[in-house]
Amino acid sequence: MLDPALEKPSPVFPHGAAPLRSLTITMAVMCYLACLAIGALVLINQAASAWTQGISREVTVQIRQRSGADMEQELAQALTILKAAPGVVAAEALDKSAGAKLLEPWLGKVPLDELPVPRLIRVTINETSPPDYKALEKQLAKQVPDASLDTHRRWQAELSRMAHALSLLAVFVLGLISLASVMLVVFAARAVLESNRGTVEVLALMGAQNKFISRQNDRQFLATGLIAGFAGLIAGLITFAGLFYLGGSSTDAMAEAGRSLVFAPAAVELRVGAALVLVPIAATLIALWTSRITLSRMLRSMP
Amino acid sequence: MSEGGNVIELQSVALRYGTGPEILRDVNLTLQRGDLRFLTGASGAGKSSLLRLLFLALKPSRGNALLFGRNVNNLAISELPLLRRRLGVVFQDFRLLDHLSIFENVALPLRAMGQKPAAYSHDVLDLLDWVGLKGRATDRPDTLSGGEKQRAAIARAVVTKPDLILADEPTGNVDPAMGKRLLRLILELNRQGTTVLLATHDEQLIQQAHGKALHLESGSLKAA
Repeated sequence: MLDPALEKPSPVFPHGAAPLRSLTITMAVMCYLACLAIGALVLINQAASAWTQGISREVTVQIRQRSGADMEQELAQALTILKAAPGVVAAEALDKSAGAKLLEPWLGKVPLDELPVPRLIRVTINETSPPDYKALEKQLAKQVPDASLDTHRRWQAELSRMAHALSLLAVFVLGLISLASVMLVVFAARAVLESNRGTVEVLALMGAQNKFISRQNDRQFLATGLIAGFAGLIAGLITFAGLFYLGGSSTDAMAEAGRSLVFAPAAVELRVGAALVLVPIAATLIALWTSRITLSRMLRSMP
Repeated sequence: MSEGGNVIELQSVALRYGTGPEILRDVNLTLQRGDLRFLTGASGAGKSSLLRLLFLALKPSRGNALLFGRNVNNLAISELPLLRRRLGVVFQDFRLLDHLSIFENVALPLRAMGQKPAAYSHDVLDLLDWVGLKGRATDRPDTLSGGEKQRAAIARAVVTKPDLILADEPTGNVDPAMGKRLLRLILELNRQGTTVLLATHDEQLIQQAHGKALHLESGSLKAA
């Protein structure tokens, strides 16, 4: 026989009770979902920022073909103007086939000489001090009448709007998950306390002070909250790691964003890390707070 | 309360559950330090209700109930634990906690009082030995027979050496030899000054203890 005197006293409230297991599972799942929602929010923001950055780094100059005009001369003139403009880092004329390639999805393979395919100039700009587009447009219109400047602003605005809408959606989903988590944890915590009512009564009738009972209760909920919360967090991190590996070496923006969840810049990583760590802590505090209120009501209802 | 004062003093106490009929009517009872009384009566006469009132699980619906000189109607919630620590209660349904070992169940009142295992382990094991449960100290209550559970419940009630023992059918499930042994334990505490009120149907137990009996009939208390 084991010496009971040498053993560590068991928790006064049973740790393996069925309602407590339900609470643990509920909390772990809700924490996991909250982590995923936070991850989705970060992923959308990172992807949107990667897309818009790519677009805002470049502008395009298009030179339409006009009968009688010397395309090569117009190209050279436009390049000279662009390279001389402040804020332009580089300007490069794309060859004829590049323009035809852009039309391929709509027209299929076409002989280049039969169609007046416009020529394109890719202009890389300094993002921090971009050129004066209006002045540049004016100058181009004056000296190269067939040239037009496309700053991609329309696309950039639409992408930003879409990213903003997706971010709002992720925040909304995160809010809904948080609300559902709070409600579920509240109900599950109450169920646990109800299942402990008999123990609470026996302790009270033996002369245990409320603070002793509360301390035992806190231990139970603290342990449950932390175990469940961090289980949800770890499952979330494993999912993010999976995303990273599934994204592989792909260079598209979504894969890049997926990787950024794992290997983000320090500042982003710190923010994401703090938000993720907050999930189990918040869940534990909610469970603890609910159980304390329920326990205090229970103790007050006893004679 | 002075040590020589009344431990229990009930003055025209009545008890009803909700809006139901009165379970206890005009109960008058005074017990002093070292008194021993047996509470008898048919099932449903109100024995358990009277004990519940005395171990502060219920409040009288009218009349005054004084415990150790304190009127239970006027007790602040913060005063209840200290008063309850002076009581040792054997519940009819034992109320042992199934997730704790027998040792831990018996030691629970001491643990609830803030004592450390090192301080109480020896006494608890001695007590378990006395009630014949030392060999089952690490077992859970759900593996025990009814009689063993009752012995554990009695051990838990007396482990704090309370001033007042309230027991509801404390020997109902044990064999006569163990019943005698448990009674001896309670009588020993009674000799040391503990007031004892036992609810029982067992006439033999009353005779063995040479105790006085109080008879409850339809909620009214009479000397037997």
